[in-house]
Amino acid sequence: MSLLLQRRFLCTKVHKKWKVKQVTKSNFQESLKQLETHLSNSDFVAVSMEKTGSFSASWHRVLPLDTAETAYCKARHSAERFQLLQFAVCPFSIVDSKKFIANPYNFLLFPRDDLRMGMPSYSFSCQTSYLTSMAREGFDFNACIYDGVSYLSRVQESKAKTQKGNYTPLNVNKSTSTSTTADAIFVERIKSRIKHWIKSCEKCGKSTSKDDVLLTSLRKIVMGSEMLGSRHCLTIDVCSDRQVQLILEMLVNFDNIVPLLVPGKGNTALAICLVLTKSKEDKVLFERERQKLEEEENKKLRGFREMIELISASQKPVLSHNCLDDCAFIHSKFIAPLPSEMNEFINSFRSVFSHVIDVNHMMKKFGAMGNVSSISAALSYLKNHFFTSVDVEIPDQATINEVKVDGLDALRMCYLFMKICSILKISPCVIETGNKHVAPELQGSTNVFHPWTTDSKELVDESISIWANNTRKVHCEHVVFLWGVQFRITASTLKNLLQESHGIFSGEFDVKLVDKDCAIIVFWQPGLSEAFLNAMSSDQISGLLRELVSNGLRVASYDTYRTVCRLGMWEVNLSESLDRALEKSDREFSNTYCLNDNVINLDNL
Amino acid sequence: MKAQKATGWALARAFSSASSASILQPSGSAFPLKTVTKANFEVSLAELRHHVRASDFVAIDLEMTGITSAPWRESFEFDRSDIRYLKVKDSADKFAVVQVGVCPFRWDSATQLFVSYPYNFYVFPRQELAGLGPREFLCQTASIDFLAKYQFDFNACIHEGISYLSREQESEAIRCLNSANDCEWLDEDSRFGIKNVKDIPSVSIADVLFTERMKNKFSEWRDGLFKEQDNEDKIQRFSEDSKQKVEVIFYKMRPALRLCGFTSHQLKLIKLVVRKHFKDLFYVSKDSGLQDMVVYTDSRDELKSLLKEVKDEQQREAEMKIQAAVGFRHVVDLLSSEQKLIVGHNCFLDIAHVYSKFIGPLPRTAEEFVSSVNKYFPYIVDTKILLNSNNMLQTRMKRSPKSLASVFSLFCPQIAVGFKSSDLSSLSSMKVEVQVNDLRSSSWNPGGKHEAGYDAFMTGCVFAQLCSLLGVNFKLDDSSQHLALSDKIRKYINLLYLSWLYGDIIDLNTGDKVADFGVHNLKRQRQNIVFENVVLIWGLPLKLKTSEVRDCITKVYGPTSVVSVYRLDETAVFVQLSKTELVSDFLSLKDTLERPGSPLLVIHPLAKLLEGGNTRAAPYDTYKEICNSPLSEVLFADQAKAVGIKWKTKLVEHKASLETAEKTEPTTLDQLRNAESHDQVSNNEIMESFCATEVNQVKTAHL
Repeated sequence: MSLLLQRRFLCTKVHKKWKVKQVTKSNFQESLKQLETHLSNSDFVAVSMEKTGSFSASWHRVLPLDTAETAYCKARHSAERFQLLQFAVCPFSIVDSKKFIANPYNFLLFPRDDLRMGMPSYSFSCQTSYLTSMAREGFDFNACIYDGVSYLSRVQESKAKTQKGNYTPLNVNKSTSTSTTADAIFVERIKSRIKHWIKSCEKCGKSTSKDDVLLTSLRKIVMGSEMLGSRHCLTIDVCSDRQVQLILEMLVNFDNIVPLLVPGKGNTALAICLVLTKSKEDKVLFERERQKLEEEENKKLRGFREMIELISASQKPVLSHNCLDDCAFIHSKFIAPLPSEMNEFINSFRSVFSHVIDVNHMMKKFGAMGNVSSISAALSYLKNHFFTSVDVEIPDQATINEVKVDGLDALRMCYLFMKICSILKISPCVIETGNKHVAPELQGSTNVFHPWTTDSKELVDESISIWANNTRKVHCEHVVFLWGVQFRITASTLKNLLQESHGIFSGEFDVKLVDKDCAIIVFWQPGLSEAFLNAMSSDQISGLLRELVSNGLRVASYDTYRTVCRLGMWEVNLSESLDRALEKSDREFSNTYCLNDNVINLDNL
Repeated sequence: MKAQKATGWALARAFSSASSASILQPSGSAFPLKTVTKANFEVSLAELRHHVRASDFVAIDLEMTGITSAPWRESFEFDRSDIRYLKVKDSADKFAVVQVGVCPFRWDSATQLFVSYPYNFYVFPRQELAGLGPREFLCQTASIDFLAKYQFDFNACIHEGISYLSREQESEAIRCLNSANDCEWLDEDSRFGIKNVKDIPSVSIADVLFTERMKNKFSEWRDGLFKEQDNEDKIQRFSEDSKQKVEVIFYKMRPALRLCGFTSHQLKLIKLVVRKHFKDLFYVSKDSGLQDMVVYTDSRDELKSLLKEVKDEQQREAEMKIQAAVGFRHVVDLLSSEQKLIVGHNCFLDIAHVYSKFIGPLPRTAEEFVSSVNKYFPYIVDTKILLNSNNMLQTRMKRSPKSLASVFSLFCPQIAVGFKSSDLSSLSSMKVEVQVNDLRSSSWNPGGKHEAGYDAFMTGCVFAQLCSLLGVNFKLDDSSQHLALSDKIRKYINLLYLSWLYGDIIDLNTGDKVADFGVHNLKRQRQNIVFENVVLIWGLPLKLKTSEVRDCITKVYGPTSVVSVYRLDETAVFVQLSKTELVSDFLSLKDTLERPGSPLLVIHPLAKLLEGGNTRAAPYDTYKEICNSPLSEVLFADQAKAVGIKWKTKLVEHKASLETAEKTEPTTLDQLRNAESHDQVSNNEIMESFCATEVNQVKTAHL
């Protein structure tokens, strides 16, 4: 008993002592280098982010009643609007089942538009409740906005490159077009100019007397000859792509010249800069230099994304606390805009991170009642119900001297993960033919893009659950959305009301409120949902149900809900959104009614 | 009351004379400014109330989290004034106000100078009431970066900012509260805080035992109440339970048990027990569940009165909470109720923000907005209007930049640096002193630019100086007359720039658009845009240059057909044509060309414009419809798609079309469309679908 107490004491003590390396733009590059080595030595890497918001209305969050598809639509909506202000990364390696070594980092992010191109994000939404709760935890907004690291996604980077332009070495491609006399004259003129320039460069290389200083500077003015580093270069203005092509073709005859394009506005070239290298070896050296310079430049463009690329390249399994949300954010901020189709998203994301283990999903194995969806709640749940001890070693603690410490979540997640593994007797890593693999027991919680499913079979047959803690599933065809009865009605009152209203409700059914004035009705018997929908739209509607409908009762199938999510009709009240979707489908129905053979084209317009 | 005020005045005088002695010592400190956060808000509000009442005018300035929600929402030459309003509305709807500068100016006739009281309020729309739904705002990255450049303290804003409710939100909160109460007290079940007995999941043995135990305890206690003598003992025994405590108290003169340390599940069970087994016991939950108790009442009537008392108390508490949540709006209410002259610098957007944050959602049109603003703030003056009002000021401005800071240093150089005693050379210049926390100073270091409090101060100083240059004589000390009614500036009151760049002015008194009466430099004199002649084209091929668009169209309609082409963003252009008919001609030509199998498309001069098949075109009014949408995609073409535009070309009816209808094989739908197109915004959706249908039908007809 005393030992246990002591342990507990130690546990809580440990949390306070943990320190996390804080990274802003001033120490970003050096931290990245450190992180790279830590990553290569680690078994897993935990990531956790601080967002500026998640959902604007209660029904916008991913609910048990969502199918994988609608859940993705919701996650996409949130990831597109909100911003990441903090990205905590914690690579860790497992010593044994009771001990791990962690190297936590906390990156502060701000989507500063360093290029003045409206990237990475022109604007973003904030929810005040999120900001205030971050403030309560001591988040330093000034540090984040003043010194946060910026970034560009993969797609943005390539866009930036084409827009910003750079000294890009060109490939000579043989043109097939016939050359005119004007072209020939142009080429000859340039050729002689280059020859002249090379000669003068050679001359100037030989003589070292002081008088030549004046001469060189004069030459510079007359010929447009300049120095690029230790090499001579000549800038030739061009006024069309044709001229660029001609010059490049002609340059094949000059071995030691490397052409660089000076970009103008749009996709045109302003000039060609010819660099004279001293020899073949020098040419190779120069080209390598350019490449390195370009790489540096690109690194600057990528900013924080470099870290994402590191994790991706390391192929270490990633731990996340909410796989769908986190992955949607990572994809939308650092890879590319989120595709409209879920499968496309999953494929695209997997090409970057192949293994994402959802720790929150692992927690579900405990079947814990109540809310254990936050890391701290999960930790305290495990602490109260199980006895495990996990030690953590954080090597670089001494070097960190920040007073305020943010971004403990990634580290806590590692801790939680280790505890869960230890309780469930999973050894996270399996060594197989000399290589480390993720334990097969973890596969179930890997790449969970639908938070409420427990096995992948359900993804296919579109079963949904209605209650978070209830395992009873129902096919989404058997549910009906219902609204317009009375504002703030309770589920039980509604259920009683419905029971009296129509014969269909004599069977087994359940009612759950989705938000203030919209409920979901679950028919446990197949076929009843259609019967109810039909009854609602038939002329023979009578009795109390007729009364309710006259008072504004509306119903919609699960398909309507799907439409709402797919088309992004994110009104504050679900009833409002469903109404809009119904209106739309009515209209489309009338359209398709008159143009039977043109149904498919409607959406393509 | 009057006597009190008089002593207040005397005190102020005393202070001013005391401080005038210290004028000669220039202090090296920063600009004196009162920074207000939630910690010192109440005190500062009382103080400000006093200063505003005594003031001649109040200068204001706002800092926001952004200006435009998308690049194409910026102000353009091709914006009609109703669209300019929509753009301002979009901005005020979406972005948050993070800092408000309020600076009352009072003419002190004793010292012949203005005394200013600069306040800098940090404002943050904190979520203080749960019922109103999440509060959300947009940040424009560039604006946040801009604020950071001027050392804006985001921590102070988010940690310590003063929250607020608009008038509308306040009444909404009260309505919510009342309806919640009504529901709660109508329904017998929910009165006891239990929605339905069925809500309790299947009862476990533990629950049964606990319920039984509690039942016994309650009945024991209740029975004990009648045996006065034993009372003490029983209570003692009762409260000896381990973690869970039941404490005997008196609630509203009635014996009660306070329940401490129970879990919410246990409390639920207790509620059930009380309700099921005791007619004279009543469960009360106070402070939203923080304090739970069981109260004894001996009669039905008493229960009723107790219920009422509890209800009233809860109502009062909730109302207090709402009152507290009103927060910063008290300052705006103060400015509104005192009807002082409000001074701003290019302040149309500021006023729109004040309206949307503290009054209610912005109206749909500029006219409604203007008349509503006029009710709350009858006198507003914009220093930018004054600057452009007469030749003398214009020449003084010469070609210097028009930003607030540069205008300030141009017109008030002596204030800009904090005037020294020796510097009395220019007699025409106004003198301004700053008073903060009853401490007056007349010399300071320049304050931080783009800090709302300092900006408001600068605005006020510029205004005072401009008034004096325009001939307003403060020295006459005619305090009975409202400054706004003074002859010299009356004609400039309530004129605001809808767009400064393009010289659109709106009159808040009438809602009329006024042409810029200032002396224009030629550069700003814009050509008159005839909006009926404008076609909006978007979804253009990516590399198409603006000049190429012009070329394409002139090839079809002749060299003089295009008056101007204006780039909206990389995906969209406005083309102003020389005649209104050309608009409909162009649109119907485009439509014809794009019909499937049209042989013309390949060789037609417009082909270049239509390349890629995503080019859409519509008359100018579609632009308004798209601007009106609450969505904001970065690119205009994406925005149009998000708004739900599915058609490729929006045709317009013009007089000729009916006459030539014979030639173009009229369909019934054609006529329908013509009839439809009269309908305005409200019917737009229906219209779209009609157009979609129609285009479709045409397609099938051609297949």
